[in-house]
Amino acid sequence: MESGSTTDHSVTMIKRKKLFEDRWSSFGSHAGLTGLSEMLSPAELREIDIFKEYDDSFLQTISPDVSIAQWKADVVLFEEGSFLDLAFYVLDGEVGVAIKMHEESLNAIPTFDAQRTVYASDPRSFQVPQEGVAATILQTRMTARETSKDPQITFLASMDFNLPLGSTIVLKKGDLFGEIGALNGWPQSATAHTTSACKLVQIRVPALREMKKASGAFKEKIDQIYRERTLFEQLKTSPVFRGSGDAFLESLTEKVELLSFSPGDVITKQGDRVDALYMVRSGFLKIFERLGEADVAVNYLSKGMTIGEVELLLPDIDTWLSSTTSVGYSELVRIERDTFHDIIREHPLVEKRLWDSAVAQMKESGFTRKNLDKSELIEFSLQKGLVQGNSILVIDLDVCTRCDDCVRGCADTHGGRPRFVREGDTFDHFLIARSCYHCDDPVCLVGCPTGAIGRAGVGEVVAIDDGLCIGCGTCATKCPYDAIVMHDTGDTWGDDALPERLRGRPQKVASKCDLCYTSDDGPACVNNCPHSCAFRIGSIQDFQSLLSTEKAEA
Amino acid sequence: MKKTAIYQRKRPDSPRWLNKWIQSLPWFFGFVLAVFGCLVIFVVNATTGRIHPGNAWGLGYGIGATVALVAVLLYTVRRRTMKLRPPGRAWTYLQVHVYGGGIFLLLMLMHTGFRIPSGIHTWWLWLISLWVVGSGVLGIVIQKWIPTVLSAGLAVEVHYDRVPELIEHIRTRSEKIVASADERLREFYESRVAPSLVAPEPRLMYFIDITGGIHARIKPFEYLRALLPASDQESLDELKELFNTKLEIDAHYTLQRVLRTWLILHVPISMVLVVLLFIHIFSVLYY
Ligand code: SF4
Repeated sequence: MESGSTTDHSVTMIKRKKLFEDRWSSFGSHAGLTGLSEMLSPAELREIDIFKEYDDSFLQTISPDVSIAQWKADVVLFEEGSFLDLAFYVLDGEVGVAIKMHEESLNAIPTFDAQRTVYASDPRSFQVPQEGVAATILQTRMTARETSKDPQITFLASMDFNLPLGSTIVLKKGDLFGEIGALNGWPQSATAHTTSACKLVQIRVPALREMKKASGAFKEKIDQIYRERTLFEQLKTSPVFRGSGDAFLESLTEKVELLSFSPGDVITKQGDRVDALYMVRSGFLKIFERLGEADVAVNYLSKGMTIGEVELLLPDIDTWLSSTTSVGYSELVRIERDTFHDIIREHPLVEKRLWDSAVAQMKESGFTRKNLDKSELIEFSLQKGLVQGNSILVIDLDVCTRCDDCVRGCADTHGGRPRFVREGDTFDHFLIARSCYHCDDPVCLVGCPTGAIGRAGVGEVVAIDDGLCIGCGTCATKCPYDAIVMHDTGDTWGDDALPERLRGRPQKVASKCDLCYTSDDGPACVNNCPHSCAFRIGSIQDFQSLLSTEKAEA
Repeated sequence: MKKTAIYQRKRPDSPRWLNKWIQSLPWFFGFVLAVFGCLVIFVVNATTGRIHPGNAWGLGYGIGATVALVAVLLYTVRRRTMKLRPPGRAWTYLQVHVYGGGIFLLLMLMHTGFRIPSGIHTWWLWLISLWVVGSGVLGIVIQKWIPTVLSAGLAVEVHYDRVPELIEHIRTRSEKIVASADERLREFYESRVAPSLVAPEPRLMYFIDITGGIHARIKPFEYLRALLPASDQESLDELKELFNTKLEIDAHYTLQRVLRTWLILHVPISMVLVVLLFIHIFSVLYY
């Protein structure tokens, strides 16, 4: 996957042709898709069951994000691991859904193990983090990998379908699928293919979100699918509930409430009565407290983390100690207060874990209250998306001599084109270079028409296959951190280019940091910095501990 | 896929200046030990035998100095062969470069018995060695001092090569702002701001005080404020912000230029040193 100007065109074309025969493409004509509707009117939409309950003005708003597609029999709609920004609703025909994940990929070592990204004076001294977000993410991943050793059941943290390996289920008229991955920014965990000629309604994420918000019945339907297909496995591998027994978890899936929030929505309000424990399914939450006249961010929560245990466990506390808002779109599990108390009565292990989590949260919030710099860092990290990152390139400007060896090293490793820019936001005297953060939920993967951008393996680095990239710029537009750069190759597309509309046009290619994952020496930027001031952080905890070290200098 | 991205962590219990000047204590103590070892050998040599570049002791020092210089050069070689993915981290090579340079000079001086050589060729070799190591030390000082000044005193961070492009961008935006502004603001812009938005303006002042000059130069904006209608206050603020950024860019330009140009004192003459050393070794072996 080495980039550069050395792409073998014939291989590229063969690969691309095969890909276009195989899968759906938003670029139009190819083997599987036989027709795609124009924009549908409210009246046309209302003829479809799933839109029946919405009024005209609502349907008018969402219609640009809805289309009806006709598919041939036996074509692949999407594959395991692909990221989609749309869901499918079966109008006619049948769709088979199967899991055929290879064993090796399940056992692959994730690139984002902390060992790769943690900074340390001696790499051998690395310890698996025991606390904080890094620990949670790591534990979740480890559990996922352990669980996946079961030969019968394949498992990914983001499941759309909870199926035995190798089996297929058939979806028929009235079934909705793909929505869990799309709404949460997770990869699809199954491969879907048409088993007969099909007519499918394709609904993009913005429309899905609006539909969920506008209709309780639709939300209920989506939640029900989520409960049936995903929730059980998610609870089973969550840091709090793992190992709690299938019967208990199955009953819990029926008792919890599923909630969705938009950016800025308030989830808890300091001083209000504590009503439940909340667990994050996707997205980020900001926790803040009123200190004097100002609201101060004291912590943040990401996937798998919980809020409410402190207030629910400590006697004599009846109100929220802090407020919580949703940073972007987030999905939460709500466990009602009484259910929570029933659980800890019957499951001492869960209670112990919740106590551990409560103590860690209190420590963290207490620390932030005393060290307001940390609050600033939390705000900054949430604003700039650092919380998403698994490997963020940071440069210590107090040491950096601006020699650009890091950039040159990167360019020399990648066929002359650097994959990052030594520019970006600064925090304290650290520069957050404009380089891929290697996000947990990479939005850049959604919408690539050829699948050129993808994970190199389960939980692995996101990389771009030059041979498949058609330079459309979708990924670069999607990346919120400007970490994907479009390069002009200086060539024009040949007469055999696919899709045809590219022919004769200037050839561009997207490029982004791939952590030099094919090399044994680690990222070239870090390796080639002579002053050791370019480094990678795996979480904001890393950053925090770095800043504290600096502050502690005698 | 298993390597860690390493950061040379600062030691929390050391003072800031020490962390700044000595990134790695093991390397520093290794260097001190090596210097001490060399001096002990020299004292033994001085007390037990003659100090002469041509005897076994002297030749030993000369060979040691050559080996040190070759090790020192590996850093340069590594920088120029990044495409070939040379083994090891650049940081390690730089440590060898810096401390090895010190050892080279010491061994060279021991080779000449801490005296100025009398031959014309060896005299030049001796002088150039001093120059190369001296300019290297100057480089270290510059590289430690300037980044701290830049990161502590300025709000913006600028890529040196993009300075002209950024200034052009500032000029275009400023002109847009004043185009529809009050006459007085336009005049002020034409006379006080526009001349500075043509090109980067390096100033010696930035070496003395990286921020002082800037504060004084944006003061006139405040004098003008009282004369402008309320509708133009926002434009004035924006213009002031842009001008402030331009001055910070100038400060970056001034100091970053030094970070780049000191190499002129060091690199070409180092090449001359290598050539002269080669000639010196050849002539010693030949004659
Ligand atoms: S290689 Fe290191 S010192 Fe040079 S510009 Fe990059 S980060 Fe700065």
